[in-house]
Amino acid sequence: MEEKKEYACPEQQRVGCALAGIYTALSIEGVLPIMHSGPGCIHAISSVLSVANGGQNPVPYMESVVPSSNLSEAEVVFGASDKLKSVLEHSLQYYKAEIFMLVTGCSAEIIGEDVGEIAEQYTTPEKTVLHVALPGFKGNNIWGHHQVLSALIDGYVTEYGETEVVPKRVNVWGVVPHYDPMWVGTLEKLETLLRRIGLEPNIIYGPGRGIAALKKIPTAEYNLVLAPWTDLDIAKKLERTFGTPYIHFPYMPIGPTAEAELIRTLAETFDLDPVLTESVIKERADRYFYYFNRNLVWIFDMHNQRSLPREFFANASASAALSVTKYFVSDLGLSPRRIFIPEDVPKKHRKNVRKLFLETAGKYLTEEDIIFTDDGGLFEQYLKDVDQMVRKSAVIGSIWDDITAKKANMPFVSVCAPYGDVLVCDKQYFGTDGALTLMADLYNDAEKKGLVSAVV
Amino acid sequence: MAVDLRLDEPPVRETRTRSIVTYNGSLKDLTKQGCDGCLKNKNRCFTTGTYCSHLTAITSVLGLPDTLVVDHAPIGCCGVEMIFSGGYSLNQPGPGGEYRDNVRMFTTKFTESDTVFGAAEKLKSTVRGAFERHHPKEIYIATSCTSAIIGEDVGAVAAEMTEELGIPVTMLGAAGMRSKLWSTGFDAFFHSTGKARFKAPEKKEDTIIYAGFASIAQETVAPIFKKLGLDMLFLTAGSTIEDYERASQARVSFGQCDVDDSYILSYLEQNYGVKYFHIHQPNGGIGFERFMRDLGAYLKKEETVEEIIAEEREKYAAKIDALRPLLAGKTALVALGSGYVFEMVRMLKELGMEAVHAVSYHYDPLTDASPDRNARTPVADVRELDMDVSVSVSNAQQMEVYLAVKKYKPDIVITRAHGAGCWAAKVGVPCLDPGLGINIVGYRGLYLFADALAASFRNTAVFDAMKARYQSPFTEAFEALPPTRFYDKS
Repeated sequence: MEEKKEYACPEQQRVGCALAGIYTALSIEGVLPIMHSGPGCIHAISSVLSVANGGQNPVPYMESVVPSSNLSEAEVVFGASDKLKSVLEHSLQYYKAEIFMLVTGCSAEIIGEDVGEIAEQYTTPEKTVLHVALPGFKGNNIWGHHQVLSALIDGYVTEYGETEVVPKRVNVWGVVPHYDPMWVGTLEKLETLLRRIGLEPNIIYGPGRGIAALKKIPTAEYNLVLAPWTDLDIAKKLERTFGTPYIHFPYMPIGPTAEAELIRTLAETFDLDPVLTESVIKERADRYFYYFNRNLVWIFDMHNQRSLPREFFANASASAALSVTKYFVSDLGLSPRRIFIPEDVPKKHRKNVRKLFLETAGKYLTEEDIIFTDDGGLFEQYLKDVDQMVRKSAVIGSIWDDITAKKANMPFVSVCAPYGDVLVCDKQYFGTDGALTLMADLYNDAEKKGLVSAVV
Repeated sequence: MAVDLRLDEPPVRETRTRSIVTYNGSLKDLTKQGCDGCLKNKNRCFTTGTYCSHLTAITSVLGLPDTLVVDHAPIGCCGVEMIFSGGYSLNQPGPGGEYRDNVRMFTTKFTESDTVFGAAEKLKSTVRGAFERHHPKEIYIATSCTSAIIGEDVGAVAAEMTEELGIPVTMLGAAGMRSKLWSTGFDAFFHSTGKARFKAPEKKEDTIIYAGFASIAQETVAPIFKKLGLDMLFLTAGSTIEDYERASQARVSFGQCDVDDSYILSYLEQNYGVKYFHIHQPNGGIGFERFMRDLGAYLKKEETVEEIIAEEREKYAAKIDALRPLLAGKTALVALGSGYVFEMVRMLKELGMEAVHAVSYHYDPLTDASPDRNARTPVADVRELDMDVSVSVSNAQQMEVYLAVKKYKPDIVITRAHGAGCWAAKVGVPCLDPGLGINIVGYRGLYLFADALAASFRNTAVFDAMKARYQSPFTEAFEALPPTRFYDKS
């Protein structure tokens, strides 16, 4: 009898296809992607990273005006270079951008369009045209994000970047715009903090940065990667290309412990004024604990029954899962039960990511508790056999897990894409201030679900 | 052309209904050319991203309980469906007050190697795994651009898995590149679900079918049909297998719009004699009266229908009249799907407003209905009401709509779903999603619409602020263009 080969069967998608890497391009002012793909690709990618992800569309070029060749069957058969050139020519005339990225999706890649040649043909000193191949069968949006950054580095920064290194200047990496739903608010707060401790942060994403920030990339004293694995390869590439060393701090900090660790790491690396950095650490931690002390009656007197969440599951991106785990474990006193990471972390990074989780929460997690998968639905299945008689564990994840947690009446906080059909605005969980918001969101959801009665 | 559910997937709209995505002129000219078979699709020299049938087909299937979709595609093609399925948002209760569960949607996640060697075995394995996990009553396998290009025989896999699992496993023809019109996906949805679920009738039932995205607001029209001795039966999100099985036994049917529903409702009429009322859509007051009189004549209940019409008119007359002064003389630009845009034009006229331009997101000269395939409501409106409006046709090309708004300077833009409203808002023009389905039926629909319009005009602070701050991200060369500039010269 023929053996039935077993494949994984992923559901509950938490990633977009490689084309969704264009959200990285759209987050850099002055860059415009032009899609050479099917007619619906722009909307297929818009849900996980845009509409169902905190209601955040790109600014200024919303999805509805992203140029696209809208490949039809006829073009797939007879070729589509003419169509693409026409779309490109008009785009160059109509959009106020300086970098135009021709992005090829599945159909264009299968039929073997030579888009690199078109890009070279149309590049001028005023307008750079690049080609990036982003077919969905090669990878997901995180892979696409890395491809977009690589193309910008190789095709623009090497040519137009400034060269003289500026002391205390630091490029910030690790955040994947849109995929980290609170990217704008987080980067704003991070930038303010880094300036306060005496650094000059250079961030390429978000309003008022863009091309000028891209050009400054080679001039940084260090590259700072604030994530377990995303952008590590970009940092290594920048080291090879421009000689810039990098610092790998495992997560965007949430809470006083993580924030202090980051500030001290940077103080040492950049030789910052210790009087200043320690005073900033103290001031911000004091503020956090002032606010925490204001909630003692609510948390410990009125609602500290058996059922306040003390354990949690994660079904989230590696970045969100690790940042939140650090805060929950080091500051809030929760312990993780199991960590699911359904973003298809590349095999070469898994060992290190696992190590980072064990360093952060090794007292509570074994290696088997950290699960790398592409199947977002695995967690929901796992939950069916979990005993929650004593008390409900909390869940951190995305909109899918919001529903799973609702059905099981577990406290839930959304931390990663697809964030939900709600507005994220400038919300962030960054540092000491953001941690208070996270704590409130967690406990308030438990209260809303009737898990923390004020009486019995 | 008779609807044939034995095919793997429906013929695309470009051939079946001679649909077009390029036109610039007037409604009278458009409908005349459509009836004469003269409308031709041109190419565009510049396009922005739009929708495809993959999204519409899968989203519609996921609105049905007990189903599961396996997307035979690279990761990401099934991205759109998580926040809504067939009309219900996640936090909106379903017809029975229940809250939505996660939609059941799997992907075979094509790799580069699959595109070279094929992925039929992988597909079977994913179907098996999905079945093991959720035990759905049905599975639909969606095709994609990629699976179509490499020639995967999804129909054969579906047949094999039907036999292996003992539940209907049906191909859902959803390769986006096959059609410039995303509405081909609605046809594909009804084609596959009809194929899996329809049964030959055992008797006739006194039911009226409503087909569309959702049965929201059904309680507002069900009593009307009950007076004619008809219970409502839905082919919408939330419809069960039993609902579909009973469809062939219904007496009459109507739909949300002929674009979404004429394919399947024509099938039911052609095969089981379920009379399909499509020539007069029941939206607004005029639409409602014509539709009800058609229905009354067929059921030989003309007197009852006149009573119903009088009652409905009376119920809302004062409320609508109170809003008329707020709307008098105001102009609108309407940008909506082809089955819907001209309904809005007519309803605006009923309220004393004028549509200065209509952008039709594609146009179908024909429906699948018989005997007269030209019998569409816009055609009837031209003939019976002498209705006319300046029209352009596109597959939601928002760079064109942006320029049209600039040219026609409407007081409001009435649109939904495809981004036109955002650009109207950015340049300071109020925009309104007018609602859909049963919520625009009848005098009640007219009243709700009038109230929403009045509310849009009452406080325009947010639009005024956007206008004051607006800095165009487009060049002067673009801003100076006339709309519909992008048709290929060839």
